[in-house]
Amino acid sequence: MDKWNSGGMGVLKVTDLRKGFGSGRRRLEVLTGVNLEVAPGELVSMMGPSGCGKSTLLNIIGGLLEADSGSISLGEFSYGTKAPSRVVDVRRRGVGWIFQDYHLLDRLSALDNVTFALELSGTRSSQAEEQARDALAKVGLEDRMGFIPDQLSGGQRQRVAVARAIAGSRPLLLADEPTGNLDIKSGEGIIDLFHQLCDDEGMSVLMVTHDPSLASMADRMLLLKDGITAASDIRSAWGEDARVEA
Amino acid sequence: MNSLRELENFILRKVLRRLDSENKKSKKLPLKTRLLSLPDNLIMAGKGAWRGRERVLAVFAGVFMASLVITTVLAYAVGLSGAFLQYSLQESIFDAKVDFADDPGPNSEGRTNDSVLWESLCDEFVSMDEFTDCGIVYGRQGIRVSGFFDEGFITPQPLNVVSVEGATGDWENVSWDYREALEWGPPINGERPIRFYGDGIWDGEFGDRHSVVGDSSRLIYGSWPPSAAEAAAKGAVVLPSMIASEAGVSVNDTISSLTFTYVTDNLGYENIGQGFDNCTGAEKYIPESGRLFCVVNMTVEGPMTVVAVYQEGTPTNPTLLFHPLMVSASVLSDEQKLILMDNDHGYLGLAVDRNELPTSSTSAATNWLDNLKEDVESGNYTSPNHLGAYVLVEYNDMISGTIIFLEIFLGIIQVFDYILMIPIVVLSFSVLIYGLVLSLEQRKREVSIHRVIGGTESNLSGMIMLEISIISFFAWLAGYLLALAGVPVILAAVGFMSFKSNVFDVTPTLSFWSTFAVILFTVGLALVFGKSRTNEFLSIEIDEGVRRVSQNRKPRYWLHTIVFLVGLLSYIESWIQGRGGVGSIGSTGLVRNFVLNALLLLFGPFFLWIGGALVLGRIGAAGPRIMTLLFSWSPAVSDIRRGLKGSGSSESVNRLAVIMLLTLSIVTLAAVQGYTGTVVDERTTAAQNGADVQVQFDSAVTEQQAREEVMQAIQRAGDSDITDIGHATSVADIFTSPKGEGTLIRTWVLFDDHEQALIWDTQAVPGDDIDEAASGWKAGGFTAGGEARSIDSISDISTGESLKIEYSEYGFGGLDSEFNPIITTTVTESTVSYMGRHQWVPGLSASEAEQAIVIGESTYRELVGNATADSFSSARWFFELCDQSDGDCADALRLVSAEITNGNGITAVSDWPSVHSENERNGGLIFGTPGLLSLQFVVASLASVASAFVFLSLVLTQRKKELAILQAIGASPNQVIRLVLFEIMAILLVSMGLGVVLGLAIAESFNGFFGIFGFIFQLFLGGSAPIDRDLVWPWFELALVNASVLVAVVAALLYTTRRALQADLAVVLKGE
Repeated sequence: MDKWNSGGMGVLKVTDLRKGFGSGRRRLEVLTGVNLEVAPGELVSMMGPSGCGKSTLLNIIGGLLEADSGSISLGEFSYGTKAPSRVVDVRRRGVGWIFQDYHLLDRLSALDNVTFALELSGTRSSQAEEQARDALAKVGLEDRMGFIPDQLSGGQRQRVAVARAIAGSRPLLLADEPTGNLDIKSGEGIIDLFHQLCDDEGMSVLMVTHDPSLASMADRMLLLKDGITAASDIRSAWGEDARVEA
Repeated sequence: MNSLRELENFILRKVLRRLDSENKKSKKLPLKTRLLSLPDNLIMAGKGAWRGRERVLAVFAGVFMASLVITTVLAYAVGLSGAFLQYSLQESIFDAKVDFADDPGPNSEGRTNDSVLWESLCDEFVSMDEFTDCGIVYGRQGIRVSGFFDEGFITPQPLNVVSVEGATGDWENVSWDYREALEWGPPINGERPIRFYGDGIWDGEFGDRHSVVGDSSRLIYGSWPPSAAEAAAKGAVVLPSMIASEAGVSVNDTISSLTFTYVTDNLGYENIGQGFDNCTGAEKYIPESGRLFCVVNMTVEGPMTVVAVYQEGTPTNPTLLFHPLMVSASVLSDEQKLILMDNDHGYLGLAVDRNELPTSSTSAATNWLDNLKEDVESGNYTSPNHLGAYVLVEYNDMISGTIIFLEIFLGIIQVFDYILMIPIVVLSFSVLIYGLVLSLEQRKREVSIHRVIGGTESNLSGMIMLEISIISFFAWLAGYLLALAGVPVILAAVGFMSFKSNVFDVTPTLSFWSTFAVILFTVGLALVFGKSRTNEFLSIEIDEGVRRVSQNRKPRYWLHTIVFLVGLLSYIESWIQGRGGVGSIGSTGLVRNFVLNALLLLFGPFFLWIGGALVLGRIGAAGPRIMTLLFSWSPAVSDIRRGLKGSGSSESVNRLAVIMLLTLSIVTLAAVQGYTGTVVDERTTAAQNGADVQVQFDSAVTEQQAREEVMQAIQRAGDSDITDIGHATSVADIFTSPKGEGTLIRTWVLFDDHEQALIWDTQAVPGDDIDEAASGWKAGGFTAGGEARSIDSISDISTGESLKIEYSEYGFGGLDSEFNPIITTTVTESTVSYMGRHQWVPGLSASEAEQAIVIGESTYRELVGNATADSFSSARWFFELCDQSDGDCADALRLVSAEITNGNGITAVSDWPSVHSENERNGGLIFGTPGLLSLQFVVASLASVASAFVFLSLVLTQRKKELAILQAIGASPNQVIRLVLFEIMAILLVSMGLGVVLGLAIAESFNGFFGIFGFIFQLFLGGSAPIDRDLVWPWFELALVNASVLVAVVAALLYTTRRALQADLAVVLKGE
């Protein structure tokens, strides 16, 4: 078993993924051959220094960016180098996105935010609304369904975003610094919610964070360094210095 | 953690505030440094502007439009003065008459009887920049008073023709009386005048002015002699058309002798009793002026040759009297010239360089002319060739008189035009303000970030203001230059969106102060507004700006609603008044107070427009919700309809809807009023002229004779577009009375098929079908004018009811036993059925039509008998010759009309195209106003297309992130495009619909305003056609503009959405 793989039959398998920006002398290779796997029901956190490519990797996995080479296998989907406009289905049925800034539609209520995402994916309205209610109930917002984002706290907004991501029964949630705008308690609440989803729903979560304490709450941690996944536990993730400091 | 973050923010804010205030306190950079860095700053501002092209475009569009519109209105006023002055002056040939300053007499000073010396002064005058031509004229005596109303103005007499002899022509038939001249101006002279032109008049500027008037020839036959020498060689005579027609002479006919009178002395009514001391001629008394003149005959011997015949135009300035015979002075002997000079009959005619005349205002022109008069009169004109004889002159300016009239008339036109342009000025300012707001909103975050990194309020504000300055300066310049170039085109408008090449050489320029005012109102306003908005951004918390959260001020909906309701009230008021009252509400309307009512009608349309746009804008912004309700069943909408919830609540979308409403309602207003004006001109022409050609004979002629005369003219003209007479008719004029009543009513008779020659309008007849009305008259119906209905038996008659009318014919039945004449009376009667009220009969006086009843031919025959009807003759006949609205036909009609004028026994001829041209200039919409409406239409159309494009780009740029979120949560590009397209199109379609409806309501509201000014213009210009301004709805043009806006919107949408879709999703979502 590779140290960066889950060991089991992964829901997500990234193979030799490479991505660079710019050209010529200004060319910067960000990902230089990333390999990773995420198992079903696994909460994986990913850390690494700024600019190491964490968000880039997440964006490629989430179908917002195409890689230069390599491949991604996510359930029935096989992509990686396809343009974002060609991987709409991955975003609809493969991954659910959770952003640091929540990225909710301001003028829609919590329920509409979640329902709309389902409708866009082709779910009939009545069914979408039912699923949205379930999802919002799962994140503990049964009593806030009619509220618009401005009327919700940061933690509640992020829960709406989580509900939106899980409502379509997608196998993988991608969370880009989901607790970055939240206080410690709300942040921990979100991580608990992720655990719950992994345990109860069998979903997998791949989360980018800068907060070691939150990262340590994940089932497994990945360190992205020099364009590759360098370690899968906290000690090796932080390297020799980290061990000394620890 | 949370409280820690709040603490951090708190400290950050405190530190930044301290830094900010310290920066403010710190001294500004030295002037030299600031000046040296100005070029760099300007370049940077330029680059910044280029990078933010979309927001730049919004500011540019606003300033450009404001500059274009304001400059146009101001330059138009300048051009209007110039064009109107030229238009008024083109009829007159002489601009000034220079006389001796002193009356002739033994003690007079500064006079000479040496015509050569007198004429030599012309050399001095033409050397002045102000004059282009000069020449000696023997004609009216010297005038030494100022103003037409001075008694001294009527004393100086012209030379009057007494008799003419020639081998050809019937000169005995010519009447030299010209009584009309007494009515056209002060009572100076009632006979046909004659002028003898010296060398200076035949060539140069005077030669041109005698040959052409405006863009058409003044001469109808022959040509003006090309040089004085040729005029002298031939003994040139130029005749007015009426004289040529009466004498039956044409070009190249010769005249053997010509006798005219000159005046040697005159007496006022207080001295008439004493009589003349020494009158060698005859005494002539003019009752109109109450003066007695001593007139002496003078005869010039030929051979003289008729070289040209000129069209007698409309009477203008009376100074030189009207429509004279013009003869080369070479036919006068030196002795005769001496006599005329001695008796004050020799003057110098001057042509002013009309391009030099200031046209910025009439007062500038008057000042210029006053100065010129002073310059000329202050000169001591001496001649070394004449032993130093000096001459003192009196300068009689003929342009000022025209200007006095213009000052009043132009004032009214300008008030009208300024009011007309208010909406478009307001519109351009709103585009400017909205553009600024949107463009600055885009920079809110940038401003806050700059502050975070240490930018002070002053340098941030400076950065933005510099950018706005650069943009607005170029926008102002572009608008200014385009307006100056466009004004001549606007002045050349003869109808809505219809232009003819301008016959006037108008180069409108704005004075420094006007230009300054335009800059102040455009660039200045942009800067002031930009500054206040920038300060507003700078006053918000940095954190708030960075996070893009701000509290928008709630719009004052209550104010919008009140404004709209007041506008609506004015619309209802004008609607009620336009219909003479509705139900129990009388014609005074709802608001009885006169002042309040006037204010309501004047300002109401503007309130309706602005209030309507603001209130209806909210409905427009709710377009997506309305459309979602209507189309939620459609599969094209079902998956995206939830995304449309709450759409339109954002301020930018609301603004888009308001701008669309403002622009499209103005487009509608301009199109409706413009086309209505054009149709009013056509209707007025039809009502005035009656048919293609109206011919007035000097005595009654039968249809056969009238047709022959016109047919000959058609053959002489030889134009292929008119080869035959389509139809001819006349209107008989008799008196009838209702049976049993003594009251005589003027009764006009329309002959069968009159409608084939007369151009009827639905407004003139009862009902709305001309054919139906024509059949009614044919079948024994009658109509009555408004005043005719006051006669007892007609006043209470209803449509369809019958009336018996009687016609009495009086005859001579011999003499009775006492040799008194026996008058026989034959009374016939006919039963006529009332059809309703007529407004006018084409070609006849509208005021007479009010007093008359109109019957058909069958009734006429019953009354007068077939014998009289069959031999009917009339002095006025109407002819249908071709399709008058066709350009070729119009030319042919002008030609044939001129030929008919030359026929025998013709008093007057008027043709449809000439009357129409006149009405286009002076009719319902006056002089360039169709041009202004066209400008309004074009600018508002362009504004709606451009603002749709610019505002959409801005709105969508602001929503780039939202579109990226949609894609991240699973929306396909197709869904995103559909969502945006549906949302914006819904706003646009609803706004467009409301805009057109609002525009129609404003057009109706403005109609009273147009009607009032149209009435004033008609009063000034003597028009009398009672045309109602029934609004015309140009649906095709409106559809075209709306379709263009839609195309622009779709283009803008596809362009911007495509850009948004191509954007790097990851980057957009990261918020970089």
